[in-house]
Amino acid sequence: RIHRRALLGAPGGHCEGGMSGAHLSKDFFELIKNIGECKSKQEEEKIVRNEVAALRQRLSESPASIGLKKSKEAIVRVVYVEMLGHVADFGHIHAVNMTQQTNLLCKRVGYLACSLCLHPEHELITLLVNTIRRDLKSTNHLEVCAALIAVSKLVNPEIMPAVIECIVDLLDHQHEVVRKKAVMALHRLHIVQSGSLSALTDKLRRVLCDKDPAVMGASLHVLHMLIEEQPLAFKDLVPSFVSILKQITEHRLPSSFDYHRMPAPWIQIKLLKVLASLGAADQKSAEHMYEVLYDVLKRADTGINIGFAVVYECVRTVTAIYPNVQLMETAANHISRFVSSENHNLKYLGIKSLAGIVQVNQKYALEHQLVVVECMEDSDETLKRKTLDLLFKMTNANNVVFVVDKLVAHLRQTSDVHFRGALVDRITQLAERYAPDNAWFITTMNAVFELGGDVVQAETAHNLLRLIAEGGGEDEEADMELRLHAVTAYSALLNKSWIPDVLMKVVCWTLGEYGYLSPEYDLSDLVEMLCDAMDRQFEDGSTRCWVMAAVTKVVAQMAAVPDQAVEVATKYAGSESITLQQYCAEFLALAEAPAVMVEVLPVDASCDDLEVDPALGFLDGFVQEALRQGAQPYLAPGERPDELLV
Amino acid sequence: RPRHRAPVNSICLPEAGSAHPTRAMTIRFVLMVNKQGQTRLAQYMNMHNIEERCALESEVIRKCLSRNETQCSFFEFRGYKVVYRRYASLFFIVGVEGDDENELAILEFIHALVETLDRYFENVCELDIMFNLEKAHFVLDEMVMNGCIIETNKNNILAPIHLLDKASGM
Repeated sequence: RIHRRALLGAPGGHCEGGMSGAHLSKDFFELIKNIGECKSKQEEEKIVRNEVAALRQRLSESPASIGLKKSKEAIVRVVYVEMLGHVADFGHIHAVNMTQQTNLLCKRVGYLACSLCLHPEHELITLLVNTIRRDLKSTNHLEVCAALIAVSKLVNPEIMPAVIECIVDLLDHQHEVVRKKAVMALHRLHIVQSGSLSALTDKLRRVLCDKDPAVMGASLHVLHMLIEEQPLAFKDLVPSFVSILKQITEHRLPSSFDYHRMPAPWIQIKLLKVLASLGAADQKSAEHMYEVLYDVLKRADTGINIGFAVVYECVRTVTAIYPNVQLMETAANHISRFVSSENHNLKYLGIKSLAGIVQVNQKYALEHQLVVVECMEDSDETLKRKTLDLLFKMTNANNVVFVVDKLVAHLRQTSDVHFRGALVDRITQLAERYAPDNAWFITTMNAVFELGGDVVQAETAHNLLRLIAEGGGEDEEADMELRLHAVTAYSALLNKSWIPDVLMKVVCWTLGEYGYLSPEYDLSDLVEMLCDAMDRQFEDGSTRCWVMAAVTKVVAQMAAVPDQAVEVATKYAGSESITLQQYCAEFLALAEAPAVMVEVLPVDASCDDLEVDPALGFLDGFVQEALRQGAQPYLAPGERPDELLV
Repeated sequence: RPRHRAPVNSICLPEAGSAHPTRAMTIRFVLMVNKQGQTRLAQYMNMHNIEERCALESEVIRKCLSRNETQCSFFEFRGYKVVYRRYASLFFIVGVEGDDENELAILEFIHALVETLDRYFENVCELDIMFNLEKAHFVLDEMVMNGCIIETNKNNILAPIHLLDKASGM
């Protein structure tokens, strides 16, 4: 049966399978067996639903009556049903209670269930605090460990003060497994509330010198976090990190830390990341590192995956820190081997590291152009996307058109929302930075809005409109050309039966301001098109306001108010949207006063300063007339005699 | 130069993204899911809603199943980088945050996890994990904390668990 096939070992190899469940109570065994044997999702649902019902009963029985083993199993069963998608929150309080058992396994199971079923903001967390504190102070190091693990998953700012001191004390515990977990508990505290560790920097630096390699390894995670925040404060540790890395690669750790003959590879990798952070843009620090990095590259080159993983990380460090020419060449050689490998995982790492080294010097990518082009069209989506990444980093004014074409082609094809967001971001960045001319910029941004309207940022549209309004700032003629180009493109887009909301807004604003430039359509044509557009379906209700605003602006430039515009404004004057009501009401009022309309909506003046008289001087005549007629003068709140204090 | 006036219906600029300290927890989820899409073990760093988790699990296993042997063991998924490997009937799936992670190191971590389970359960199979769910979690909890790989030395990982087994007599 498929469940019994050994995970490691020759295909067809079986494990002892049949003995697996012998230690369980009969009904628990049956439950798991049934879950394993069910043939459909519906069958599984039925089994789990019955189990949830049975659990309600089971959990109401105390450990004293059914025995510790069955009580413990009940908690595991709560974990099971939630893992399979059914909420069993009636079980959560029992998990909390289970943590108070003295039997170690029960306690651990209680903590496990709490960490899987609860979360830091859960109301039951406060019930755990006393148990956690007690366990943190226990003389049994396994109880201490259980509590530390629970802290790292469930601690919140409220309970932090109750536990932080105990944990700091545990940094000096005699047992290395406790010290290791205490370091990571502090790591978590800093994540939950940054600044928690500000008084502990010295203590944490000392953990780096712990005689136990695993404890030292754990300290790297905390230190790296602090280094990222304040690199300068830790530059003095560079020699220490270098020395530790050297010792590890020279096999000076116990062999139990080896993985497939590679000494503590994940600790090596962490050290390499730390060095990358400290050596970036810092020649002095980087110079300390070059020798050990050579060493790491040489020794890790063993031809197996974990070796390649270390080589890859080392290459990344080399390209991140202040550069050394020979070391860079060595790194480039490794990258070549990755990129030309048949193995897709290695090729992937090759492309990734190429993207890193290319930022140091573009020449390294040029020699691999063919491979890069191949990867771009590879059927493996992962490889393709990484290559696009590389392309993005290699873009300059010369190849921007080619690269953006590729990115837009992918935007057209993919439906993956995250990928689309990333593509839109990148195309926008490249277009804004390297556009060869304004016309190309507008065409590209139109493609972005059309294809990626759902993921484009509002700021992007804003920038485009600003460009059209303000122009490039140098040449008035070029600016008008840009506007003409925009108007032509946008009036064509208005003929499409559907465009995304963000694009519609851009179209309306542009046509409202500069539609008069259109060689194809006169103003009455434009008004007709815009009025028709009022009746479209929009995802965002505010879009219709943009259309109405455009109608208003264009009508202001016409000799007479078209009937269709009045119809449309009247129709939407009763809209649920107050904003739209206002736009329509304004239009209808202005339509009655053409001279005012022209004054209020000047042409090509979107960038002009608005002069506003906050004293509303133009109303003085109106006010004087009203006072003369006997109206009460205005009294400020303090001046009013019979003020109702509400 | 005339001061720029924002267009009608001024668009609010989005807030600049700030680096969130949770970036330090690179591993975001560890899953063991079989070919039929049944979850055998699930741990998450930051996702608490059961429905969300189940939806993620079924989607990610579908994606793993759609890939073939020659393709990368990594793919992008909902903003995560997913590293996966199949061992007999079981897929081991790790979701990682951000682009800085060393995917091959994660792939080998998965292998180290399987090797450790294999040592503890003596020739581990899917059934062992099903019948000993809490033990499988304990092993993982010794190896990963806060989304960081903290222990891969098998002696160190299994010593506390063996002690636990002895002390509890269950």
